[in-house]
Amino acid sequence: MVNFEQRNTKGGTLNDVAIEGKDPQFDAWLSEQLQFDEPYLDDDGFCESVMAKLPAPSKDSERRASRSQYIAVLAASGIVAWQFPFGEVLSEAARQSISLYSLVGVGMLSSLVVMAGGIFAARR
Amino acid sequence: MDLNDEDLIRRTVEDGDQRAYAQLVRRYQSQLRFSLRQLCDGDQGLADDMAQEAFIKAYKALPAFRGDARFSTWLYRIAYNLVMSHKRKNAPDVDQEAVDRAQAEETVEESQQLGMARDLNSAMSSLSDAQRQAIHLCMQRGFSHEEAASIMKLPLGTVKSHVNRARAKLRSLLQPWREEVVNG
Repeated sequence: MVNFEQRNTKGGTLNDVAIEGKDPQFDAWLSEQLQFDEPYLDDDGFCESVMAKLPAPSKDSERRASRSQYIAVLAASGIVAWQFPFGEVLSEAARQSISLYSLVGVGMLSSLVVMAGGIFAARR
Repeated sequence: MDLNDEDLIRRTVEDGDQRAYAQLVRRYQSQLRFSLRQLCDGDQGLADDMAQEAFIKAYKALPAFRGDARFSTWLYRIAYNLVMSHKRKNAPDVDQEAVDRAQAEETVEESQQLGMARDLNSAMSSLSDAQRQAIHLCMQRGFSHEEAASIMKLPLGTVKSHVNRARAKLRSLLQPWREEVVNG
């Protein structure tokens, strides 16, 4: 098996290699040893302590975040309204003589569901 | 969900989402604290304070982060600046007790380590500060020479020279171990 010294003298003199530092195998070995030797430091409350000292997020970014949520809710509601067969529902309601109050109730309920879905989607 | 650094930064800056920043802190805390412990000569308390300050400073400056460098490079640059300026200001007031305590703990830990790790530590401590930092950043953290130069605020040629000299010295000190591994 070729040892380290012999391998070094293959591509040039040891001095050349030492000066230029071109020895990828040694580099890889050293890098591996250095990383292997490094312990993982447990968080141990470090992160919480950093987060507690951070300044509050700027109003601008909060406004931007809520604006994008509103836009997402409006877009979701628009798509639902666009797809919803209002004409058919109304004519069916008239044919089956369903009261206006029940229709309003169903409408409000569906709006609530759509808004909740929109908010949930925007938050994700 | 594990988002990449860019996405976490975007969420932090644009949505004011501090949970995203917490994820970045968790991702880099161990590496940064370990690196700073070496830079602070084993004073763990000081290293952790500096790391904490670096994360807070990085958070405040995050809207100005343009993404020209990796987040880790940028964070390390901030942390190194903080430590260096702290060292300049407090040069005579080194907390010797903390250093001694840390070194005593280190000695206990070292005695439990295997021979190679112990010799590696001792070889690393035989390097100059700048050489040790350059080797640590380039070979342990995987930063390029350019990134290490920007973190250490040194010319690229100087960093390359530190790395080469340190590597040559480590090679000669660690040769017996290396031969043992190569020869099985």
